[in-house]
Parts: sequence; structure tokens; C-alpha cells
Amino acid sequence: MAALQLLVNGVALGAAYALVALGFVLVLNATAAVNFAQGDLVMAGGLLGVAAAPLIPLPGIVLLPVVLALMAALGLLLAVVAYLPLRNRPPVSVFISTIAVGIILQNGAAILFGPEPRAAPPLFGDDTLRLGGLALPEQSLAIIAVAALLIGAQQWVFGRTQLGRRLRATAQDPEMARACGVPVTAMILVTFAIGAACAGAAGLLLANRYFVTPTAGGDLILKAYIAVTVGGWGSVPGAVVGALLIALFEVGVSSVLSYPVALGALYATLLAILVLRPQGLFGEAVRRRG
Amino acid sequence: MCVAGALALLVYALTTASPYGLRVLTVAGVYALATFGFQIVFGLGGALSLAQGAFFGLGAYVTGILGSRYGLGFEATFPLSLLVPVVVAAPVGLAVLRLESHYFALATLGIAQVLHLLAVNVPELTGGANGLAGVPGVVLFGWAVPRGLPMAALVWGLVALGGLAGWRLTRGRLGRSLTTLRDDPLAAATLGLDVGRLRLTAFAVSALFAGAAGALAVHTQRVVSPEVLEFPVMVSILTIAVVGGRGRMAGAVLGAVLLLHLPEWFRFLERGYLVVYGAALLLTVVLAPDGLTGLLDRAAVRLFGPRPRRLPDPREPPRPPTPAEGLTVAGLEKSFGGVRAVDGVSLALRPGGITGLIGPNGSGKTTVINLLSGLEQPDSGRVRLGGRDVTGAPADRLARAGLARSFQAAALPGGTSVLEAVAAARLALDPDAATAEAHALWALERLGVGELAGRSCDGLPAALRRRVELARSLVRRPAVLLLDEPAAGLTDGEKAELATLLRALAREGMAILLVEHDMGFLLPLAGRVVCLDRGRTLYDGPPDGVRRDPAVAAAYLGTVPPAERPA
Amino acid sequence: MRRALSLLIGLLAGVPIAARADTLSFPVLVPLTGFLSLEGTSQRNGAVLALKQTPAGITVASEVVDTGTSPEAAVTALERAAGSGTVGAVAASMLGTQMLAMLPLAQELKLPLVTVSGTASITEQGNPWVFRFFPGDAVTKSAHARYVVEELGKRRPAVIYQTTAYGQSGKTHLDAAFKALGVTPVFEEGVDPAAKDLLPVLTKALAAGPDVLVLHLHSGPTALLLRQAASSGVTLPIVAGSAMHQPSTAALLEPSELKGVCAETAASPVSGGSAEMQAFTDSYRAAFGKEPDAFALGQYDGMTMVLEAVKAGARSPDAIRKALSAEAFQGLAMTYKSDGKGNMAHSAVIVCYDGTSRVPKLAKRYDDPTLAAQ
Repeated sequence: MAALQLLVNGVALGAAYALVALGFVLVLNATAAVNFAQGDLVMAGGLLGVAAAPLIPLPGIVLLPVVLALMAALGLLLAVVAYLPLRNRPPVSVFISTIAVGIILQNGAAILFGPEPRAAPPLFGDDTLRLGGLALPEQSLAIIAVAALLIGAQQWVFGRTQLGRRLRATAQDPEMARACGVPVTAMILVTFAIGAACAGAAGLLLANRYFVTPTAGGDLILKAYIAVTVGGWGSVPGAVVGALLIALFEVGVSSVLSYPVALGALYATLLAILVLRPQGLFGEAVRRRG
Repeated sequence: MCVAGALALLVYALTTASPYGLRVLTVAGVYALATFGFQIVFGLGGALSLAQGAFFGLGAYVTGILGSRYGLGFEATFPLSLLVPVVVAAPVGLAVLRLESHYFALATLGIAQVLHLLAVNVPELTGGANGLAGVPGVVLFGWAVPRGLPMAALVWGLVALGGLAGWRLTRGRLGRSLTTLRDDPLAAATLGLDVGRLRLTAFAVSALFAGAAGALAVHTQRVVSPEVLEFPVMVSILTIAVVGGRGRMAGAVLGAVLLLHLPEWFRFLERGYLVVYGAALLLTVVLAPDGLTGLLDRAAVRLFGPRPRRLPDPREPPRPPTPAEGLTVAGLEKSFGGVRAVDGVSLALRPGGITGLIGPNGSGKTTVINLLSGLEQPDSGRVRLGGRDVTGAPADRLARAGLARSFQAAALPGGTSVLEAVAAARLALDPDAATAEAHALWALERLGVGELAGRSCDGLPAALRRRVELARSLVRRPAVLLLDEPAAGLTDGEKAELATLLRALAREGMAILLVEHDMGFLLPLAGRVVCLDRGRTLYDGPPDGVRRDPAVAAAYLGTVPPAERPA
Repeated sequence: MRRALSLLIGLLAGVPIAARADTLSFPVLVPLTGFLSLEGTSQRNGAVLALKQTPAGITVASEVVDTGTSPEAAVTALERAAGSGTVGAVAASMLGTQMLAMLPLAQELKLPLVTVSGTASITEQGNPWVFRFFPGDAVTKSAHARYVVEELGKRRPAVIYQTTAYGQSGKTHLDAAFKALGVTPVFEEGVDPAAKDLLPVLTKALAAGPDVLVLHLHSGPTALLLRQAASSGVTLPIVAGSAMHQPSTAALLEPSELKGVCAETAASPVSGGSAEMQAFTDSYRAAFGKEPDAFALGQYDGMTMVLEAVKAGARSPDAIRKALSAEAFQGLAMTYKSDGKGNMAHSAVIVCYDGTSRVPKLAKRYDDPTLAAQ
């Protein structure tokens, strides 16, 4: 029973990590650039939820679209200040510019909200369903559902819609896409908006069960980076699997070994995967661009 | 420029700086030192190592543990702080260096995280999260270096030393080889550069610098704790490198001085200073594409005009003894995902002979060249070069054994001068960069483009690019030369010049393989022609027979259905 | 070229800080960013509030500088502060590592450091310039263990601590305190502060068959563990570390989730107790819009004692040091008196939540529990 309980918790955590990694991998695919502010965007999403909660005294599910919209706007802003001016430069420039944005977000949040950990409202309710001896917090179920829904929606948009085809074309080869009449800049802006919205959703979901502080982003970006690389640089299913793998170590392995040892085992596994399978678990989706 | 900057720092340190100012300056020196190493592995080598912070921390812990627990002096701890990171870097590097780009970054990050976990969770050795206090200051042969000016002088003395060493490395063979590698690892291998060994060297050198910086950091703060191993240290080093200017030692110094002072200037904002710091950082990255040193360079060019580059005296590179045998291949096969790209091709490139390789698009010509030059490994078949079996040898070994090749799309590095690009081809052969440049100028002059030497490779017209590319092959005086469509896009006059040159090279004993579409250019030149179709040899014989061969005509014109083609 | 040179030099030197010679300055060097920013901000507010209420006839200047989390930044901040006017005393970071880094420099500069860091080793360096206005880990963890063993009568504690300086130092002293009481914990494990889900460690702890959970975690993780314990239906008593008493920790939880939870701390200002304490809490709320905690109160008491010394005629750092090491001071949380090593606080309290409010009630007060325990 304890193992099952841990599995539920692990999947919920993995689902939230998957959303973080998803936003990261989308921007990566569209621009070949690492958005290092992704963790801080998650934090911002969580704090937005916290700030909006007293203004909109409704359950989190109503809050979610508000957070998504605001975060999408923040994503656009991020693209305009930290990506577009650097799009013809080596990818590492964007790495640094998004680090700068992360610093601004983190410290701006600290000034606006203070350093206290905060909790965002739950999506539906705070209750815990009991199923046999299993405790299923509603929020855990909500995290899994929302993450699955958003990831599914994204797969649908990318696989089945005109917008998705254009976004994919931009991701694969911006020059070619432009030649085919795809408005590449607009597509990149849309990608940043979706990526930030994903971060916002992850932030809102995480900030209820695990709280949020202005410094929470640093750890999340490392997790997203690991998830995306382990899964295969640029592969969306790979990122989801990578995120679940991290959660498995954090929740599963650490229930047998101690937490620091589990963390060490995660990195050891990571190195083993890299040495044995240098292209990630799912192969590379993004070719390096010059 | 550098001198003026150094002078300004010196005057500031000696006259204006308060103890506080000197401390910030000292810490800036420490970071400059750590960034020197990073400039070599990342700036020049292009490998995004996220272990630089970890090596910094490792150096710090070596000094911290030995200094506070065992009371060892600087003479002992400092060399060990340099050595231990290198000793750790070597096996780690061997394991992860073949990983590309982000996988390499993540692997090095993983190593950094493991070291951090150890520092926190092995308190018996490291003092745990609290770290170790009571690390002594620097004691040099009995003289305790006081904090303030003497300590700043010591750190900046080492910065000067390290910067000079780093600058010489940048300018020398290692630095040039690394940039060649960064710009195009495949081309670098075909120029004879051992990619793995170069990366490993760069990685080890970067660890050396980081260890030195870590040791000095601990001596200035007198405490060692896991913070030295945390990711922000790594981010600072990366930021300093990019803001200062990638791959430049002056950039490391400029970046470190600026980035360490920047937050101090906004301290009066209490909590908001980091917001301003972030904004300033963002602005710098956006406004200075090549970093601050790049910005200064451009300003200098605008003020004083471009600095003329002194060219070396051209010198003919020594010709290695011509082997009796050229390159022979038997039964070469290669499949890609079930498609036979090369199917039983045999060739013999004799010294002094020019062989033409023709065939329709997709017939496997380029794959053959890739197989011969080691960029692809054959599934079966034997390759002999200069009388030795070299089947399956990597590109750099083949190149060093006397093989040279050109690429269809001339792969010249951006941002470098023509002379440097050609000299890069001699880096694996010559003792130093100056010799390589002298040899390069000889090759350029032989091709009649000596006047291009000082020009940048960017924006060179296609015909000249091909000429430079050819010079890169020629300068190595190879026994065997593989050329992939050297005449494409040339005028008739240029083609004639090229033909004369190739004949002369063959007369000197070179074995030449020419992949060409232009029959008017190829047939008079070649002593023998091989025609490929779908990976198979369709024709192998004298050039005058090729036009009359019905199979060749069919393959080119596509009149005969594939099933009826003669095998 | 010469103009560029002087411009460069001027830039590096930064803006000089103006200070009048007749005022004493009391720089506040605390972590406002990074993982300790919550506690550091309390420290800052406590110090700033005390400095605002300067006794008549004294002019003080003060500057707040963030020390982040690295020892390097702390040392730099101290050197900076020392260069700006006549420093009376420094309100110094509660991060143990930063204190350890600042200590040798403070001794060289001859500046008293007034801190609320619990890290035991900062007063074990033989440095006469450190003054700790918060019970050290030896004191608080003795109280923690004694409450568990003597008041609750539990003998099988499971200890969960954080793998940070705060957690590791606390764990060491908990071990010692339990040993002195003849009790061996049935389970001990460290958790990274970045750990999101604490169910694994909770499951393992429960599997060891404890009769009490003893926590020594930071604010967020404490709340997380309590919440997961509540949702797993854990009925064991829980005695948490000082982070629990911080009002921001309780704010993360429903009062019902706090039922039966106790915590060790130096004081709990929000629990009231005296008119002076009430006045402090009110003015703290008015000034910062937050609830004060024991760190704020400790730093407040410490700076108030410094200012009292100045009022009594101490006009130099050395005079202030002498006053701090010799005098006793009746603060809001307790009476402070140095033990000769700079430990000023010797009392700790246990507070408990009754499940109806987020404000805990005083359950037990220990004055110098280490002496009693041995």
C-alpha cells in the first residue's frame, strides 16, 4: 500500500515536472536556444496564482486560465527582450540573456512578494479521497489530469492543426519555413507564449502542494534540463519520460535509500545513460544549428 | 588597449581603492583566473563544460581541508589544488568527452552535482553544509601575506601570469587547433587534428585554472563551504566569459572586473540591486555581440583604423617522402539503414596518377570520399594507405598518414583570416603557429592568391573560397588528395588554371582522386575514370572509353530501367 | 587616454559613502536573497526596528547590505561596512558559514558582530567579537530533546533534518542531547531543501516504529511534512524545530493540520505574554506588514542592547564589545548575559498549536537547559 501511495505521489510530481520540461523543450525546438528562465517562469506562475487568489475567490481551476493568459503575455515579453535581439547570435547568448531575465524575475518577485513560502489555492479542493488505505489528495489527481490534458492538447495542436504544422516547420528549419511563407517570427513568439503558459500551469499546480518561494526556480530549471537531455534533446515524449524518471528517483528511490543517496543515484544513472546512449533515450529531435 | 586597462587597474589599486575596493578587486581576480580556463575549454574549444565551477570548488576544498585540518602551507596546498582538479578531470573527460554539445554540458553538470552532494553529505571530511572554518591566509615561505594590497597583488600577479600563459596558448597551436575544432569538428579531423585528445587537453587545462582560482578564493574568504560548488559560481564564470568576449583572456579579465563590481555599484538599492544587475547583464549581452572586448576592438578600429597585420615570410613546407604505394581500396561496402550506398567499390590511386570519379547524383561518390577519408567507417572492404592497412582508421589518423580532402561546400571557418584558415591545416604537422602561417602563405602564393592572406574568410566569393580550400589541402603536402567537385562554379579560365595545377601536383608524385560532373574538365585531366551508379562500379577504365560505354550513358540519361541494368 | 583612465578608476571606486564623523553606524549585513532570505529578512526587520527606536541624544546611521548565501559576499559586505564611517557594531548574518567567514575579519577590524545564528561553532572560535542573541543549537536542541523525553515521555524519536548548515548542526546537537537523556533515535535522515515530496522519508520514518517525530527542517519543508503527515493520517506527536514557530510557516497550513504540533524556539512574539512584547509585535506589523518571529525579536533585542550601551556612553566598537560581554540585559525574549564566549541567550521555549489557531501557546520554558540536562 505504501508503495502504491508513493507511486501516486511520484506520478503527480513527475507530471508537474513534465509541464516544466515541456515549456522548456518547446522553446528549445523553435529556437534551438536554452531558456534558462524557465524555472523562474514557473515560480512566477506560482506567485501569480498566489497573488490572484484573493482577487478571484474561486477555485484554482478558474484561476488557471487567468494565470495561463498572464504567463503567455510574460512569455511574449521574454521573447521580445531576451530572444529576438539575439536570434542571429550563437545559442549561448540566449542562455545568458535568459539567465539575466531569471535574475530579474527572481529578485523582482522577492521585492513584490517577500521571501516567505506561499501556497496557491488548490485546483478543485483541498480534500483527500480515501480509496482503501490509499490517500489520494484531490490536488494530486488534479495535477496529473491537468498535465495530461495540457500535454495532450499540445500534441494535438502540433500534430493536427495548421498552427502546429507551421510551428513544427519553424522548429525544423526556420529558413526553409520562411521561404514557404510561414511567419517565423510570429511562430517563435507563439512558442514562447505557450512555453511560458506551460510554466505558469506548472507553477500554479506545484505551488499548492509544494509551496513557492522566489528562489524556487533554480532547482526546477536543473530538473527540466536533466529531463530534456535524458529524454533526447528536443523530444517531447522524451522530456515527459525524463521528468517521470526524475520523480521516480526523488520519490521511489529515496523511499528505499536516503534522499541524498537517491539524488546521487539519479546523477549516476544520468551519466550512465549519457555514456551508453549518447543521443538520449529517445534520440535527438533537434539538430544542432550552426 | 590591454596595457591601458592594466594600468588603470594598477593605479586604482594603488591610490584610490579602500580595503573594501581591494577585496572586490581580489575576488574579481579570482574569477578572472577561473574564467581563463573556461575560455580555453568553452571559448576556444566550444565545449560547454558546466564542471568549471566544480573544479573551482574542488581546488577550494583541497586548500580548505589541507589548510584547516592539516595546517599545510600555501607551498603545499596551492600545487595540490591545481593538481587534484586535473587528476579528476582526466578520467571524467575520457568518459564524457565524446558526448556532443548539450549531452556534454549535462554530463559535466552531473559531475558538479555529485561533487556538491559529497561536500554536503560527507561531513567527516568536508565539514558538511557548514563547511570548514579557520583556513589560514596565504603563507609564502614563512611570510603571511596580509589581506588588502598584498593579497590583491598576489592574486593579480597570478592573474597576470595565468593570463599570459592563457594568451600564449590561445595564440599557439593548441588555441588554433581548438578554434578549428569548435568551428567544424569534422573538418578539423580531416586536417589531422585529434579531436578527443585536444578536448581532453583543454578540459584538463581548464581544471588547472579553476583549481588555482578556487584555492585563492578560499584564502581570501578563509572558509570553505559547499557554496563554492554551487551552480551560481558556474553561472558567474559563464557569464563573465560571454560578457567579456568568448575565447579571450582580456575578455575574462574585463568581464570579471565588471561583473564583480556591478552589484557593488547598486548596493544602495538594498534588495533591488540584483534586479538592476540582471537588467545591466541583459543589456550588455544584447548590445555587445562579441562581448566587451569585441566592442572595444570595434571602437579601436573606428578610432585608429584597422591594425595592419604583418605577414610572415612564405616558406615551402617540407615534403614527406613519397610512399611507393598510394591509396588502394578493395571491396568497399557501406549501407545506411538498409540502403546500399556503396556496394563493392575497388580503387587504386597510384602516386602521380589522377583518377576521376563520376556518376549521377546519389550514386555514392561523396560516400566513397567520406569512407576513404575516415569520416564514415566501411561495413566491409580493405583500405591501404602508403602500404599499410588503415581500414577503419579515424579521419585524423588518415590525415596524419598523408591523406587530404576537400569538401563540396568549402568549409572555411567564419571570423578568421584566410591565412589562419590555411595555417590551421598545418597545426597537426608544424611545431608552432608561426611556422604554420609561413607554410600557409607559401600555399596561397602557389595558388596565386597570396594577396588574400589578410582577408577574412567571411564574404569571400565562391571561386576564391574554393581556391583557399584547395590551399588547405595543398599546404599539407599530402601523398593522396581527394577533391570533391573542385571545378564547380569556376570560369573556363579558372578551370584551365586548376587543371595545370593538378597536373603539376601529380607530377610531384601526388595521387589524386577527382569527383567531378564537368566531363570537359575531367576527361582530359584524368588518367583513369571510375563511374559509379547506386553504389556500384559501372565503368573503370581509360577516360576516352567512358563516353562510349552504354551502361554509363544509360545511368546518366536514365533510359534503361534499373532491373535491366547490367550488373 | 588620461580622461578614460580617470573615468575607469572613478567607476571602479564607485560612489563614496558619505558619513559624518560624529554618528555611529550600525550596518545590517544579512541574507536578503537566496535560500535563507526568509530568516534574513526577519533579522533585517528586527535590526531596523531597533535602530529606528534609537534612544534620545544618539544619532545612528545604518545601511542594509544583502550577503546572499556565500561566505565571500558576507566578507565583502563586512569590509565595505567597515569603510563607511565609524562603525559601532554590525548586525551580522544568521548563516553560520557567513559568520565563520566574517569572524577573523571582524577581529582584525575590531568590530562586534551581533547575530542570531544558531550554529554552535561560531562561539567556539575563541573570538571575542561575536555576540549571539539567540540560543545556540546546544541550548535549543537540549530543550527540544528534553521536552520530547521528559514532558511527552517518548523514548523512540524519529529525527528528520535538513542537509543544510542549519539542519546538520541541529542534528548533531539533537544527537548529543538525546544521548545525554539516554535515548537513541530509531531513525535519522537528512533531506535536501529542494526535495518536493517528503512522503518517502515520512514513510521510512514511520516504518522504524517511532513514538514521536522530531523535525529540524526549514520553513517550507516543515509545513510540507506536517501537511503530508496530516493527509497520511499520522497521529504521532510531532515536535518541530524553530522554523515551525515562524508565522509564515503556520500560514501555509490549516489550523487543523497543526493540531498537536509543538516547536522549539527562542521566543514566539505573536503569542504575546507581556505588554512590551505586544508593543513590539504591533510596531513590527505596522512597519513591515508582517508577523515577527524569534529571529526578528532576537536581533531586535541584540541591537537594543547595543544601543543601550551607546546610551550609557560607549562610543567605540571596543567599548560596545566590553559592554556586551560584561552587562546583563533584560530583553523582550529573555535576559541576555554573555557566558564569556559570546553566547548571550540561554533560554528556549516549547510552543504548541491547539488546532484552532495559527498562533501557538507557550508550553514549557527552559532556562539554561544544557546545565539541567547534564
